[in-house]
Order: sequence, then C-alpha cells, then structure tokens
Amino acid sequence: MAKHLISLTINGDTYEDLVVSDNQTLLDVIRGEVGLKGTKRGCTTGACGVCTVNDANGDAILSCMTHVLEWDGEAITTIEGLADTSDLDAIQKAFVHYGAVQCGSCTPGVIMSAKALLNTHPQPTEEQINEAMAGVLCRCTGHVKVKEAIRNAHRIEEVVSHAAGD
Amino acid sequence: MLLPDHQYVRVDSLKDCLKSLRENGERTHVVAGGTDVIFNMRLRLFQPDIALSIRRIAEIKQVEELADGGLRIGAGCRLVDLAENALINERYPAFADSIRAVASSHIRNIATLGGNICLKTRCWYTNNSEQWRQGVKECFKTDGDLCHVIKSSSLCHAINNADTPLPLIVLGAVLTLQREGESRDVPIADFYQKDGMDHTVLKADELVTHVTLPPCADRTVFLKIAARKGMDFSQAAIAARASGTGTKAGEVSLVLGSISMAPIVLHEPARLIAEQGITDAAIEQAEEKVRAELGELTSLYARAGYKAHLAKVLVRRALKALREM
Amino acid sequence: MPPEIKPQVPKDNPGLTVVGQRQPRLDGADKVSGRSVFTDDVVLPGMLYGKILRSTHAHARIKRLDTSKAEALPGVKAVVTAAHATGMSANSTDSVAKASKRRTGKTIKLKTGETIFADDVVTYIGEEIAAVAALDEATATKALELIEVEYEPLPAIMDSRRAVRAGAPQVNEEFPGNVWSQDIDNYGDPDTAFDEADFIMESKFEAGVTHNLYAEFHVALVDFSRPDKLKIWTPTQTSYLMQHSLAPAFGLSVNQVQIIHLNTGGAFSGRGAVRPHHYVAVLLSRETRRPVKVFSAGDEEFLIGRALGKNRYKTRVAADKDGTLRAFDMTCEMDGGAVGNEVGYFGWMAGLSNAWMFDLQGNRFQRKVILTNQRPNFLGHGGMMVSSNCAVQQLLAKVARSLDMDPMDLLLKNAVEQGHTGLSGEVFASCGLKECIETVRRESGWDDKYDKLPPYHGIGVAVGAMAAGAKGAFKHDTSAAMVRVGEDGLITVYTGIPDMGQGTHTTMAMIAAEVLGIDANDVQLVAGDTDLTPIDIGAFAQRGTITTGNAARNAAIDARDQLAVYAAEKLETSVDNLRFAHGQVSRVDDPQQSLPFKEVTWGTLNSMEGRFVMGRGFYNSPLPYGTTSWSFDAQVAEVIVDPETGQIDVLKVTVAHDLGRTINPLAVEGQIDGQVFSAMSQVIYEELVTDDGLFLNPSRLEYKMPRTYEMPEIAHFMIESNDPYGPFGAKEVGEGPVVVAGAAIIAAVSNALGGTLMPEMPMTPMRVLKAIRASELEKSQSQSAA
Repeated sequence: MAKHLISLTINGDTYEDLVVSDNQTLLDVIRGEVGLKGTKRGCTTGACGVCTVNDANGDAILSCMTHVLEWDGEAITTIEGLADTSDLDAIQKAFVHYGAVQCGSCTPGVIMSAKALLNTHPQPTEEQINEAMAGVLCRCTGHVKVKEAIRNAHRIEEVVSHAAGD
Repeated sequence: MLLPDHQYVRVDSLKDCLKSLRENGERTHVVAGGTDVIFNMRLRLFQPDIALSIRRIAEIKQVEELADGGLRIGAGCRLVDLAENALINERYPAFADSIRAVASSHIRNIATLGGNICLKTRCWYTNNSEQWRQGVKECFKTDGDLCHVIKSSSLCHAINNADTPLPLIVLGAVLTLQREGESRDVPIADFYQKDGMDHTVLKADELVTHVTLPPCADRTVFLKIAARKGMDFSQAAIAARASGTGTKAGEVSLVLGSISMAPIVLHEPARLIAEQGITDAAIEQAEEKVRAELGELTSLYARAGYKAHLAKVLVRRALKALREM
Repeated sequence: MPPEIKPQVPKDNPGLTVVGQRQPRLDGADKVSGRSVFTDDVVLPGMLYGKILRSTHAHARIKRLDTSKAEALPGVKAVVTAAHATGMSANSTDSVAKASKRRTGKTIKLKTGETIFADDVVTYIGEEIAAVAALDEATATKALELIEVEYEPLPAIMDSRRAVRAGAPQVNEEFPGNVWSQDIDNYGDPDTAFDEADFIMESKFEAGVTHNLYAEFHVALVDFSRPDKLKIWTPTQTSYLMQHSLAPAFGLSVNQVQIIHLNTGGAFSGRGAVRPHHYVAVLLSRETRRPVKVFSAGDEEFLIGRALGKNRYKTRVAADKDGTLRAFDMTCEMDGGAVGNEVGYFGWMAGLSNAWMFDLQGNRFQRKVILTNQRPNFLGHGGMMVSSNCAVQQLLAKVARSLDMDPMDLLLKNAVEQGHTGLSGEVFASCGLKECIETVRRESGWDDKYDKLPPYHGIGVAVGAMAAGAKGAFKHDTSAAMVRVGEDGLITVYTGIPDMGQGTHTTMAMIAAEVLGIDANDVQLVAGDTDLTPIDIGAFAQRGTITTGNAARNAAIDARDQLAVYAAEKLETSVDNLRFAHGQVSRVDDPQQSLPFKEVTWGTLNSMEGRFVMGRGFYNSPLPYGTTSWSFDAQVAEVIVDPETGQIDVLKVTVAHDLGRTINPLAVEGQIDGQVFSAMSQVIYEELVTDDGLFLNPSRLEYKMPRTYEMPEIAHFMIESNDPYGPFGAKEVGEGPVVVAGAAIIAAVSNALGGTLMPEMPMTPMRVLKAIRASELEKSQSQSAA
C-alpha cells in the first residue's frame, strides 16, 4: 500500500513528514507513529469514546473513526496536551479531586470529552453533561463522580485551596 | 482490527468529487464524516478500493434560506452544526429533534446529514468482525443468498436505523442527487427501498448534495425510543405532522422508522385522523390500523412483537403531542 | 467461638488523623494526564504481534488443520497449535477445590484438563485452535486467514435444560448426561423448618448471560526470550495465582514467572484467573524467543471474557405468620458452558450468602452445574450473588405483603446482630445490619412512600452481606507488605495487591500514613511487579482492605517501632510513650516535647552506626478457615416503570453500607456509585443474546450498559461497626453493595407492578411488559375471586 507524508500538529508540536498509509486512522498514528499512548484503543467502532481527542475547534473527536489522512495539516489535542508543563488543567484537577478516576482506562477519553464540553459551556447544565458524556463507556464510576467533576471544574481552584485549608 | 487496504482520495470541490465518482464510483465509498463507513470498513463489510473524502467540499456545507421560506441544506453539514442552527430549530423543530437524537455527541461532531440519510442498514448477523462471521453462513450482505432473520426471504431484512429521514419525509423534503453533468431531485419519500441490501435509489456515481425543505407551518413532532438515551440507534422512531390546531387536523402524515428495511409511511391511520380529528377515539382506531401497514417484522435488535407494540405506542404519543401543540 | 478480640481502635473516638479523610487517588494525576501505562501501551524492542484463530463451531471435530500456508507467509515468525501445548492444562484455581473440601467436606469438581488449544474437538464458539506471531498486526491477521481448518460438525447443545434430557448431545464424555457436578448443602435444619413453618412461598427466577465489560480489553504481553525468566504484562486481579498456574506449565519455579500488572483497566471479578490467551502468548514467545503481544479486539473480547452463564433458580422460603423467617431452600441450575470449572463453587457461595443476613433455622442450597456448548462461564461483578439475592429479596417482599407487613419490619425482625453465629458456624464479630436498614428507611422517606406511590411508581428494599477475605478458598489467605522509610521522611509501601481501579493502593498508603502519623501524599507505592513485591494472593473475595490492609498496617507498625528507638532517645523517654501524628513524633505524657517526623527519619538513617528501616508485615486470618468479617448492607431503590414501553427509570438509590470503618470516604462513595451502576446494569440492561451459541451483540454498542442519562441519584451512608479484625475496624466495600442494589431495584420494579414477581433479569422492556400483563391478570383474578 502506498505511503504518504503528512504533517500533523499534536499538542502544539508539529510532526512534519509523518509516514502514514491510507488505511490508518488518526488513533493508529497517535499511538503508533507518534507514540503518544495516553489516547486509548477501545472498541474502534465508535461506541466507547476512550479514543477521544479534541480538534482545533475543541470538539470531541473519536480518533478511531477517521482516516489519518483527513487530518493532514490540522491540529489536535490529546490527553497529554491538556496540562501545561507546570500544572494540570482545571478538568484534570477536578477529576482527581472529586474521585472521578478509578481504573483510568477510559479516563483519557472521558476527560477529552469533558474538556470539549467545557470549551463551549464552562458551567454546563445537567442535560448538557449527560448529552456530552453519553458516548463514553465507564463501568467503574457509574459516571456519578465524573459528572460531579465536570459540574465543578469551573471553580476547582477555589475548591482545592479550600480543601487544603488555605 | 485494522482498516482493510484501500486508497484514500480527498476531493476539495464538488466537481472533482463527481468526476472521481464517474471514473470509480463502483469501487468507491464516499466518506463524509466517516462514522458509518469506517465502522463498516472495520468489519470488512465495506471493502472499497477507494475511500473518497468529501469533508472539505465547501459547496455542500451551507444552510441557505429560500425565498419561499424553506431551507436548502448541504448534505455535508455536520449534525452538530445543524442541531444548533437557529433557522432549523425555529422552522423545523421536529427535524432539529431528530438530529439531536442521532447517536452520541461524539458521532454528531463529525457525522453529516448526508451520511445519516444514506446510513447503511444494520443487522446483528453481519455487524460483527470477519472472524465472528465465519460462524454464520454467508447472507445477502456477505455475498450469500439468504437472510438470517427471515430465512425464507429473498430480500435482506437489515434495519434502516436512520432518524433524520423520518421528519424529512413528513416535511416533504427533496434530495438533490448529482452525478457529473447531471442533477436530479428525488423526494426523500421515494429515496428508500424496502431492501436491506439496496436500500436507496442512489447510484454508485451519484452524491446526495442537498436537502431542500419546503416551508411548513404545520405542527410536527419527532419521537424516538431507544435502549438508552444519548447514544443508541432507535428501537423505533416516529415523525408526525398535522395541519390545523387542537383536535382539528386537515392533513396528517405519520412515518415510522427503525423497525424495517425502510421508513414506513402510515397511510390508513393518517387518513383516519385527518377525517376524524385528533380525538382519543380516533387515536385508538388509528392505533389498530398500524400493524397492518408494518409488513413482516424481524427480531433484529428487538423482538418483532415489541417493535409492533412500540409502533402503536409511538403513533399514540405522536398524535397526542401534536394535539397539544 | 473465636477468641475474644479487641478492636484496633475504639469505635467512637479512634483518634485517627488520616483514616476517614477524603484522599484523592495517589495515581490520580498520572491517570488524568495520560501518563499511566496500560499493557496495550507497552512496546518492547523486537516485539511481535500475536493473533488467535478461534473455533467458529459450537461443537465439531477438527478433521484437518493445516497451518503450512500461514507459516510460509513472509513476516510470520511462529504458528502454534495443540501440538505445542501437549499435556498442558489451562487450569486456574485447582486449590479452590482442595480448600473447599477442607472447609465443607465436599468435593467440588474442577476440570483439570482444560486445554490451551482445542485438540481434536471444539466445544464452543471462540475456543482456541491455533495462534500466530508476526512482525505486525496486519500480517498476523492475514496469517490467520491462511490457516485451513476443516470441521465435521457435531450435534451441539445450547440450553442447560435440554442438555440433561436423555439423548442430548454430550459436551464432554467424562461427564455423562452433561452434569458437571451436583451438590446439596444443608445448613441447620431446613427439613424441620419447612415442616413446622406456618407457610411456604416459592418463586422461580432466571438470570441471563453476561460479560464484565471493563474498559480495558483482554491483553497479554509476554517476554519469554530467556528460558529461565518468563515476564508477563497483563491486567489481572491476581499475579499470585498467575504465577502458580503458569510456572508448572512451563517447567519453571514460581518466582521465575514475573507478572507485571502496571494498571488494570477494571476487572469486576472477570480477571481472577489465567486464561488461554495468556498461555498462548507464552507459547508464541517461547517459540520465537521474542516478546509477543496478544490483544483481543472487539467482539473477540466477548467470546473469551468469561462471566455469568444462564442461571435458573427455584426459591422456597418457610415463614411463620408473625413474620419469622425460618428457612430458605434454593435450587439452581447453572449453565457452566463447555467447561464447568469453578462455577459450582460460586454457586455454593451464593447459597451461603443468601442466608447471612437472617437468623434462620435452616438453609438448603441445591445446585447442578450443567455442561453446554456455550462459552465457559465464570463470574460477574458480584458473582452469582447479584441474581440469587434478586430471587430471595423479591420473595421476601411478597412474604411481607402476604402478611400485610411492611418489608422493612420483616427485615428488621429477622436481621442478625453482632455476635450472631450463622448456620455454617460463621460468627459476626461486627454487624451493623439493623442500623443499615433503619438508615435507608429514614433517608429514603420509605414510610411516606411504600404503598403510597402512584401506579407504576415503585419502591423496594433489599439487604445483603458479604464476606471479606478468602481464607478457606485457599490454604492460607496471606498478604504481606513492606514499608521502606526514606531518610527524608518519604515512605514507600511495597504491595502485591493489584489496583484495578478500586483504589486499594491509596488505601494502603493511608493505612501506613495513619500508623506513621504522616500525610498520605508522602507515601508512594511500589506495586504491580512480582519481582519487587511481597506475596499477596490478589484482589478478590473482598480481601484487599482487611487482609492486605492489615499487612500494610503491620509493616508500618514495624517501621514505626524501628523509628521509635531514635525518637525515644532524643525525647528522653521510652518507646511506648510516643505518639506519631500530624508529621510529628511527640511524648504522650508531654505533647509539647516533639520532633518532626522527618527529623526522626533523618536522624535514624544518618546515625554513626548506620541503620536501615524497612518494616515488614503480613496478615493471614487467625481462624483455621473461613472469614473473620462480613460487611452488611441495606438499600432502597425508587423506580418509575413506563407501562407503554416497558422501560424502567431508576430515580434514586439510597445505600447504607456497614463497612466497619471508612478509610477513604471519597473512594468508598466511588465504589458504591460503581456498584449501583453495575447492579442496575445487570438487572435492567446487560445480556448477551445468543443464537445457537453465537453471541449476536458482542459489542460495546449492542451489549447495553447504562450511560449518563440513565444514572439515578445515589445517596451514600457509611455505617461504622468497627470490626475487631479489620484495620482500624474496616471490612469491605468491594462487592457488598452490588449484590444488594440489583435486588433493591428489582424489588422496586415488582412493587411498581403491584407486587408481581419479576421472573427474569435483565428486566428488558419486553419482559417488563410481560410482567405488567401478568400483574393485570393477577389483579383481575383476585377481583373476580372477591
């Protein structure tokens, strides 16, 4: 099969001259050629959400459901790109603080889905949370603390410093 | 499961797209959002030589207001954008509801209207991996000549699970199908065929480019029943429309989906309501007329008896909802 | 009676500073950043990709198996079949049988000959036939397609009821009539109880086929390139049992097998044993002398993920008119699938656990494990106890209704209390069951709702008990831990218990921190690698908190005692006059005199003579066999049933769980949430639909679990009965709630339908509609009778 050279910007880093083939998905290349393993391989048929990344608009995208060639020249964010070098993103902090993480296998996809929601709705309603998160599978948490973390992400700094007794 | 070997081709204009389809249509699958195509390719149900990406064709990504008060919607529009579109929500609320009911927000972020209209029929005897399918005989979908769900049938009974066509049918939407140098308009009501294999009239060299919605001042409603909210295909869904107000209804249309190979337009129940109005007694009579129009039902994804039951429930609920509008 | 033992800390004023605090997971930041490594993320130099060819027939003779074309494909490095695994058995928990015999005097049959690959005959769809290792996944997949198998189909038997009829096809000739095992256990005197009781009520109940559906699929990465060292990366609940199963199969000693379970993406009782894919990966790595990864993709996971099979219960309860429950008698036909293995043992546990909550005269549990050509079955989340409790608790609600008694009063009247000795000799050293019942009654608003709700709106209650610890299932139930003290005051706990998400590593850190009087964030864990960690049987049977927790506590005490020598010298007092708390070591008699903990560690480890502080600790139940501690639980569920669609909306679940002591409320709530979710999922949604042994819905889309919209409000109440055996009084919250939530939901649905018993789980909309018709019939019959 033919190989192609593409450029892909992931978490602000531009990977020039990535060698990919026609039948690779975005997920295959993120995990394989690029070697970022935070984005998980799940059902690869669109039903579990563990492979979710964000596109340049900040939308939640299932990386298993799209040709990598579709993304030539585009920019995406994966779970590794959420935090800056010194600090976790608010949604990541909220997940830790509210116990929204258990086994952690679905967590990257769940957080990237939540991040996409918060990009447009910093203080989402219950309905908006349910809608944005219905596409992800999580057996451990039953989604309960995940929703709590999303509801409170906008004020996490305050909550954490309060909990620390500041 | 890797995708099968194929060539990915991206076109940035409608012209290039139609040219490519003319040249290679028979061995091409069009990829708009890709959620349905990649799913089917993953399972080796589609093994095209070419995956033709149309995601960047600007001409099919617009929503235009028409002079008559209708809308012309590009088939390449993402469902998420249409669900949020003010004009659609204002003029065609049932259609907007059907868009929001499709799959999960993840899917709607990339899936397109054209993709949902063309959604491949589904069957749980085929929608599993190639290795899994070694355990069942070849059927119509896998180059055999039998249907697992209705063994005596000469047709594939896979389910048409698309939600958005239902309100489009009651709204009288017209699809624009283009091939190189040619364009035809097909009412969406005539787009589907009662055959799980060959489920639309779309030809291999054609592309659904636009959906044209005539103005509608009538009451409309879309209802969906699924195992779970927010991510599932329908077990049954309905779109309904009625003119008039209250119990008075001059024109009525009812379309059921997800229980057969194609959407089902309910003639007799609609006629009955149009004649008698949306009264409790008429609704009860209309319900009794539903089963006869459903044809042979299968136990794909839900038991046949349950689908027949849900059809009645949906007719009742839709009519009552219309009455309240 | 066991020896009178004193709780480790007082019930009401335990003086704890770390235990009881809301402690976020120590690995939380790694998990939210994508840094946590799961097995599928590991790529080793020279790694090959393995794929397994599986049977497409439920029962067939393999007439011909030709792998030559696959072997010839460029890039294929090895093809293995039954010929490479001669004499090898995929037996998992042989010791269960032996220990069970010790405990009950009864033999539980376990097949010792389950093969790695089908040899000659396949007995279920998905059974391993051959495997390949290749340079990449695409080549491995292609190679599978080149393997030629010719089958001669044999008559297959799919239904356990038909399997026991005369003339039914035989799954395994060693088990005539397809009966794998048949047992009756009598505890107490059920015969007299049933003879003398005022009345008897009975019901039938069925539970469908499931999958555990964890987020991480089955995967094994094996490096057996050195003949004397077998390294396996895999998600598991028990590295210990894996070592003990794999070592003899490959001619190694136990510690030549290194199990690395970096992170385990959920387990829910589904990863408690070695499975064929582990052996297959080892064989491929042995053949190629290169690392090999075997990943089960998509629907393959459902073929090999062993969970619950079809179970059919017949339940009888003997009771008196005053509401005294006298005895249970449950019969269960269990579909063991093609290999019965441990299924009978799990049935026995269900039969025992049905009765733990009540002061009964007798309990009988009859079970028959039947072989069919279905996938071999194992455990679901909560084992068979989820379904058996559904059967029992619904029936109890019916008993109450027949006596015109509130079910709460019936449960309270019969509930056991601390000190009670159960029918099989178990003694409840702590028990908060009555407090659990009273709590959910109050907090759910029960008295304002029961029988006062509108039609199709129901409320139900259920209770349960769960044994914590595995003594009896194995010869011993040992966990060990080591606590290394750094000179800077940072502590490292070494533990062999896997954390599959339940948070047990953070629990261990908190326990060590409590003993040493430091912040749990100053503790790090070394876990998930048998080369580094001490013995631990694993994370099952609710043994983590009580067994490994006590081990961690003992190790921390050992470390603390070593540090106390220096501190006592500096504070000019004796070692038993010291208190370790809030990062300080102070004199008990004069708290003003203190040293920072970090100064003590620095001083100890930088002494002239040189010292090293490593605390050692282990724990094994002090009883000769059997559990020391039981959790108790009561829950109320409220539901609305849509009488038109048959869909069930769970509105709220109120949970009161007697866990002995809450170590980490944040984690406990998470455990309860997850178990309510799982139970609800099992009783309403989850079912593998089969057609002739073929699963029709083996996918994350079509095998339904609830998602965000379906989740009810959950109220948690932690009842602290301060168990004398548990670390700081703690027992378990690993599976106690899951076996009650399902029963409470089903009781609520039954209540919504006017008391009609729900005969089957999951309660799919079709079945609910059927039950509604049955309830209407009951109503009209009782009206016409009146």
